Amino acid sequence: MPERLEVEDYRRRARAWLEANLQRRAGPEVSLMEVADKSEDEIAAGRALQRKIYQAGYAGITWPAEYGGQGLPRDYQEAFAEEARDFQLPDLGIAGGTTFGVCAPTMLAHGSPAFLRRHIPAILAGDELVVQFFSDPEAGSDLAGVRTQAVRTGDRWMLNGGKIWSSGAHYADYGLCLARTDWDAPKHKGLTWFLVPVRATGVTVKRIRQINGNAEFCQEFFDDVELTDDHVIGDVNDGWTVAQTMLRFERGGGNRPTSKRDVRELPADLLAMADAAGRLDDPHAQDAIVRAHIDGVACAQLGRRIGALIRANPRLASGLASYGKLAAATFDPIRANLGLDLAGGAIAWQDPDSPVADAARDLLNSRFMAIAGGTTQMQLNSIGERVLGLPREPSFDSGKPFRQVVRDARHWSGKVS
Amino acid sequence: MSVQLFPEATQEQRMMADSAIRIMEATCPLTAVREAAERSGPGDEKLWRKLGDLGCFRLLAAEKHGGGNLSGNGVADAAILAAERGARLQPGPFVAALVVAGALSRAGTTPLHGEVLQALLSGAAVATWAADWLTPATRASGLTLRDEPGHLTVSGEIRGVQDADVCDWILVSTRAGGADRQFLLDRSAAGLSLAKAAGLDITRRYFTLVLNDVRVPAGAVLGDPASNPALASWQLAVAAVLSAAESVGAMDANFTLALAYAKTRVAFGRPIGSFQGLKHLLARASLALEMAKALVAGAAEGLGGDEADALVMASIARAFVSENAVELTHDCFQVFGGIGFTWEHDQHLYMRRLASEAYLFGSPSWHRRRIWEQAVHAETVHAEVADA
Repeated sequence: MPERLEVEDYRRRARAWLEANLQRRAGPEVSLMEVADKSEDEIAAGRALQRKIYQAGYAGITWPAEYGGQGLPRDYQEAFAEEARDFQLPDLGIAGGTTFGVCAPTMLAHGSPAFLRRHIPAILAGDELVVQFFSDPEAGSDLAGVRTQAVRTGDRWMLNGGKIWSSGAHYADYGLCLARTDWDAPKHKGLTWFLVPVRATGVTVKRIRQINGNAEFCQEFFDDVELTDDHVIGDVNDGWTVAQTMLRFERGGGNRPTSKRDVRELPADLLAMADAAGRLDDPHAQDAIVRAHIDGVACAQLGRRIGALIRANPRLASGLASYGKLAAATFDPIRANLGLDLAGGAIAWQDPDSPVADAARDLLNSRFMAIAGGTTQMQLNSIGERVLGLPREPSFDSGKPFRQVVRDARHWSGKVS
Repeated sequence: MSVQLFPEATQEQRMMADSAIRIMEATCPLTAVREAAERSGPGDEKLWRKLGDLGCFRLLAAEKHGGGNLSGNGVADAAILAAERGARLQPGPFVAALVVAGALSRAGTTPLHGEVLQALLSGAAVATWAADWLTPATRASGLTLRDEPGHLTVSGEIRGVQDADVCDWILVSTRAGGADRQFLLDRSAAGLSLAKAAGLDITRRYFTLVLNDVRVPAGAVLGDPASNPALASWQLAVAAVLSAAESVGAMDANFTLALAYAKTRVAFGRPIGSFQGLKHLLARASLALEMAKALVAGAAEGLGGDEADALVMASIARAFVSENAVELTHDCFQVFGGIGFTWEHDQHLYMRRLASEAYLFGSPSWHRRRIWEQAVHAETVHAEVADA
């Protein structure tokens, strides 16, 4: 094995490679919610660029070397991210974010060595995009209440049911799917994870049109989809353990580094909204912009602190990760309302790229984090119970067979016997 | 219990914090804080000396002046201590004294500067800071300065000067006459008197500094017209970050108390913290607390590391902490219910401290104004505004 470079040497080498091989990014970084629908050509280009980075040895910098990663410490990843900030990185849309930020880290935590050898190198090379088949139409925040089921027959599993809110499933290769494998066990104890090929027989993917006009989310229908034990991640009926890991990554508790910004730069989008309305000299508008800026800096610093807290208290990881999501869920709507006010409302516009149109779009997107991946109320419970150690809510469903839970809920009286 | 301002603090930082915590808990526990507050007297003077022995007052001074820090970042080290002090509502002008020592180390040139600095570093002397441009209280002050050969003659008042009666030295920062000027006042100087003021935070004492033709020798004047604005900005940033660290410590202690109450107080057959109404209120308050800690830690790192945006970051931290500290103590009050309205309960001590400290080194809106002014002067922002 070659000797490891010092971080600063690694940084220099990365910078040289980036300059020689990648193009500089034209615009500013785009947030998750601004990702427009990707064309097939764009996804193909993204996959090709991912392969290029993988072949140069800059993909999966902190991931284990035996599965195609580089096996380096976190500061190498951070150094690369800082150097790469101004370059055009592979844009695989929302499915790319899910693959690298949530699904692959979860697989690395729970997959068998054989499973990881099959899939992780292919993910790093851009050949396999993996999205989440997580919520059922009838179970969102109450994730352990999913009813999509896999029944074992001989050496096969037969998957039936359906999933919803799967981001980017229409161009993904696999979905990580949570299914009930034992209806007679309590709800958390009869669940198993499967890696479902999106193009398998019996899988139907339908895109969902969202209020912002985009269609990144999908709904899937499973009709007798045949799977094998090779598709299982973690132990059968121990899916809730895997789900905890996945939720932690989804809530932003993963080790994705954030780039540091000069806090003298006020939010350009809000300045533009105020400017378009002729309010850049208005002291109230100025104060409101600074207020939003302060909240934004506080959220970014919170991300750093949560990372450090999780490293110091890994046991509390899933509860701590809820802070990041709760912060976004709290401050995104406040910021969107402010933008609307700065812009003087968003009643009508001619130019779809105008700040006024941005204000309208921000409003429509602003409650995303308050709902996705467990509502704000779920995050508040998680923090209250797991981090603060407050007594749990009374539970009416966690002790009895799930089959009975579904039956009893139809006759809910509110009485605790 | 530690505030954990930096979850990944170094071994040296942890050891110093632990030592300081032991000193505070032995010399000045909350019962002693309350006792001093009730009689409106100063805290135990042994406390100051012991903190000095530990090296707490050396953190912002240069090594060549006998200063020294633990981690290479003295502001971060001091912020850790400030947070632990805040958690125990400690009396004394800790933040102001560090500001004065730091300013003397940065800009001191005369034998008197050196002498005062040495006494401050060891804890043998105590100093406070009186800036007449900082708060509504001090801005209502009025000083007149007369330049005379070999000295300055000063008359007038500065209001809202913290713990002035226990101080040997007072660093005055004034804009009287239109320019930033600073000078050290010997508290025993002829013509100087103190008038005790009433205040919201009874764990601290405030005074109006009354000056009648007080003679300030040339050697007591600090800085020069060219460098004074930058020095004053640095002092403000240090005060903002360290006082925010004290607030964060008090927020942490207040929150911990309310959380414990929510787990033990029973109503309707359950601990009240099992109800979502209170559980969610506490979870939201803890988000504000974590964000406040994160901001103060980031601001302290930036300021101690002389980062280009450190002054703005200091104002960001102070503004966020101030507003959220007041909100948090309201939330805690709500958890306690009636008992929080009694004098015997400690809730009001935290509420008084947090609400007072939110304005001590510049109000939230004053800091937001500073942020806007400093941000729009940055070229990058000009460019962005022009592009938009």
